[in-house]
Formats: sequence, C-alpha cells, structure tokens
Amino acid sequence: MPLLRKAALSLFVWIVVLLVSFPLIWMVITSVKPQTELFRIPPTWLPETVTFEHYWTLLSETPFLLYFRNSVILSTATTIFVVALATLGAYSLVRFRYRGRETLAMLVLFTYLLPSVVLIIPLYLMMVSLGLSNTLISLVLAYTTFALPYALWLMRSFMEGVPPDLEAAAMVDGASRMGAFRDIIFPQLLPGIISTALFTFILAWNEYLYALVLVNSDSSRPLTTGVMSMLISAFNIEWSLLMAASVMMSVPLIIIFAFLQSYLTSGFGGGAVKG
Amino acid sequence: MPNRPNQTTLERQYARLGILLIAPTVVVFSAVIVYPLLAAIYLSLFSIYTPTLQGEFVGIDNYVKLLSGKLFWQSLGVTLTWTVGTLTLQVIFGVAMALLLNRSFWFRSLARSLVLFPYFLSTVVAVLVWRWLFNDLYGALNHILMRVGVIDMPLDWLGSMPNAMIGIILVGAWKYFPFVVIAVLARLQTIPEHLYEAAKIDGAGPIARFFDVTLPQLRSVLTVIILLRAIWDFKEFDLIYLLTGGGPVTSTQTLALLVYKEAFSLNQMGQAAAYAVAMMLVMLVFMVVYIRRTGTKET
Repeated sequence: MPLLRKAALSLFVWIVVLLVSFPLIWMVITSVKPQTELFRIPPTWLPETVTFEHYWTLLSETPFLLYFRNSVILSTATTIFVVALATLGAYSLVRFRYRGRETLAMLVLFTYLLPSVVLIIPLYLMMVSLGLSNTLISLVLAYTTFALPYALWLMRSFMEGVPPDLEAAAMVDGASRMGAFRDIIFPQLLPGIISTALFTFILAWNEYLYALVLVNSDSSRPLTTGVMSMLISAFNIEWSLLMAASVMMSVPLIIIFAFLQSYLTSGFGGGAVKG
Repeated sequence: MPNRPNQTTLERQYARLGILLIAPTVVVFSAVIVYPLLAAIYLSLFSIYTPTLQGEFVGIDNYVKLLSGKLFWQSLGVTLTWTVGTLTLQVIFGVAMALLLNRSFWFRSLARSLVLFPYFLSTVVAVLVWRWLFNDLYGALNHILMRVGVIDMPLDWLGSMPNAMIGIILVGAWKYFPFVVIAVLARLQTIPEHLYEAAKIDGAGPIARFFDVTLPQLRSVLTVIILLRAIWDFKEFDLIYLLTGGGPVTSTQTLALLVYKEAFSLNQMGQAAAYAVAMMLVMLVFMVVYIRRTGTKET
C-alpha cells in the first residue's frame, strides 16, 4: 500500500479511536485539574495547572484505601476459590464419562445467563439467616454465583483444546490419572487458567449489585459501592476527586492491559463467544 | 454409555474419579445457585415485608397483581426499548470498528487496546465519567454540542425524557460495543483472502465485497453475539441504576430495577420475587435459543 494511503487511513482510524477514548482521556484530565479550573465555562481542554492534590486527598482523607483493600481481598479470594473449583470441574466434564454429565454442562450454561436480580433476594435472606451479612465472605459466596458458571464454561473450552493423546501417552508410560493431570495437562492448561483467573478477577472487581445489597458497613465495603457512596454523601459533588478515584480504581485493569492482554483476547476466542 | 454391564473395572474407577472431581463444584453450585433459584420461585408465593422478613402464603396473588397491574408491562416495554436500542448501536459500531481495526495502519495494537478498554472497565467508573460528561452546566458534552451548533441550550441529559433513555442507550453502546469488536475481529482474520481476490476480479467494489463476502462470513458469529448481548443487555442493572436510577419517575425503570426497588425500597420481597421469576421466564426464550445453538455446535 502506498505510504500516503496508509497515512490517511491511520489518521482517520486514530481520530475515531480517540473519539471513543475521549471519556477516559477526559477522566484523567479532570483528575489533575485544580478545583477552581473545573468550573470554567468554556472548559479548558488541557489543564492550565497540573495538580495531584485530589489523589492525595483521596488517599489521606477518605476511606478509599480501605475500600481498595477490601476489593483486593474480595477479588483475590473469589478468583482462587472459583478457578480451583472450575479447573477440576472442567477436567471432569471434558475427560470423564458418567451419568448426568451433559445435564450438568447445560445447567452451567443456563446459570451463566441467569440474571443476578433473581438470586439476590434468596441470597440476601440466606446471608441474614447465616449471620454473614456485612462480611466479605458473604460477597465471595455471592460472587461465586456468576463467577463459577463463567469460569467453568471458559475452562471447559480451554480443556477441550488440550489434546487427549498427551494424557493417554503419559498413562501408557505408567502415570496415574491424577499424575498425568498434574504433570501433563496442568502445564498445557496454564495459559487458560491464567486467562480465566484474570476474567474472574475483573468480574469480581467490577461487581456492584451484590455489594450494594449485602454489605452496608464501611469496614467491608468494596470499591464499587464505596466510591458511589462518596458521590452520594458529598454535599457538593467533587468531580475531580471522583475522577481521581475512577483512575485509581482502574489501576489493576491498566496493569492487566499493559502486561497480560494476550490472555484476555485468548479467553474471548475460547469461551466467551463461540460460533 | 453409563453403567453398561460389560463396563471394565478401570472405566468404573474413572467414572468415580470424575464424579469426585466435579463434586465440590456441584455442592457449591447447589448451595449458591440452585437452592436460591428454587427459593425465589417459592418466595414469589408469599407476601413478605423486607425489614422483618415476616410474611404469609398468598398463593398466586403476586402473579395476578403482576399481570393485571401496569408496572410490569411498563418496565417490560422500557427493557425492550433499552435492549433493542443499545444492541443495535453496539452491533453497528462494533462491526464498523472491527472492519477499521482489521486494516493495516500505524500503532494498530495500541489502537485496539484503547478500543477494548471500556468493556473491561468497571461500570461504576464508566457511569461516573459519563455523568460528569453529561453534567448540564460544566459537562463537556453539552459544550461540544453547542460549539458544533447541534443545540442552542445546554440539555438536561439524565433528568428528562427522551434524553435519559438516549443517554443510557449511548453509554451502554459505548461500554459494550468492544465485545462485538473483539468477536468480529477474531472472525475477520479467518476469512480467506482468496474470496476477496475472486470478488475483486468479478469487479465488486468495496461495498459489494462487504455485503457479498464479509457479511455472509460473519453471519454465524453475529447471531451468537446478538443472542448473548441481548440476554446480557436485557438483565443489565448497574449501568441504568447508577445513571438514572430508573428516572425520571419510572421512564427508564427496566425489569431488573423494578425487582430491586420492589424488594429493597418498597420492601415487598414476595412481589419482587414474582417480578424476578416473570423476568426470567421472558429471558428463557432467548436462553433456550442460545443454549440450543451452542449445544448443537458442540456435538
């Protein structure tokens, strides 16, 4: 392709891409503007003075760090729990033959599409009667309701991608079934496990509805409901502070995108869409 | 196959190991999904006051109220408007963007990352950013639109109709169109180049090539995307609840919001459960179509 045509195409595509990204760029710009500059009409497109005071306020004067800690614990616990179950479960669903296997697979797919609001009422009653409301454990259990079917479905398609011959060969060489799983399948499956873990982590990190209903105290509130309650409680909405919070809240995502993005795209190819 | 009389000892042993491996999943599954699901149906036959959790059996009264009242039907209408609106935009922008990103241009992988980002972003963050953009006095959106000359006066984006509906549809499209982009992009890369060559030789222009070569090749992946996104958009809660809270009044109150409000603001848990079950029944149509499609693919 002639260079000029490629340049024109690049320019056009990048204008579109920047338009799509504008809300995010605007979020970053707003977060570094001083409060006085925020309420200018017309708005300044590039900040006249760059300040990090909002980030400082956020970390020192609000419970942001507490929420952040809660979100990290919550998402990590959910991820470990769900991925461990899903890895063994997917191995069983794909490589073993027993009664009810197909029905179970269909049930997983069905629950993968189930709306959260159907489960929220019984789950709320369940957590209250177990004395678990307002705890991080209640949220880990609640997050399992959408994360487990999702992870199982994803792991299942990754598992299908591992050639069965490898396992058979290992067993001919005298390995037990679980030995073959540990030494042969697990290493092959590792990229799939990482991909599933990342998706699960992001799902848990972003969840809002269960956190809204099940947790009502600052000590175990995650970031999503925590940051929204900062919005509601403030007398004057401090947009620069909220934009700083939004940026900080997206930090894990930015890290994943910068270093591990290929795992996200492979997950998409694997399980999220088929056809 | 199971329990054939001539099943070998090894096969039976393996079946037992398989069941052992799936057992933890089944236990957790039953406790947090199957039991609550059945409980929701059971609860929908009661009248329960949320703060005290006391109530009595009312039979199908909740369903009678649901069918004869206006709320459910109105919310169903809102849900369908939102789903069709946002899904249409997602598919059109998604396919267009995928076609662009499939061309070769400078810094392509960076551009792809930037486009995909909103999909993985927390809905809370997306909503905060857009509420700031929609701000009637200091929002960037009103300012840009006035500058370009589309509007003369700042618009009240989320507080009046039909702006609020347009607002949620736009934000939904922005947040979820990358899903279409990723899926379509992956499929585009597998379309054999020689199909385009042949079309070129036959004298087909770029538009004819899109409709005669690209679109038929995308058909199956688009069907799956549309089904899946229709299901997900239909049950969307966070985005709408956080942007408008269902308002103004109940103009953007979808079924998911109706269930939440009935259970936790109006404190009628039984009635809310009935709404939830009815909502699930509506969704079941899409679910069955999707599951059948995916199911036949696998076998």
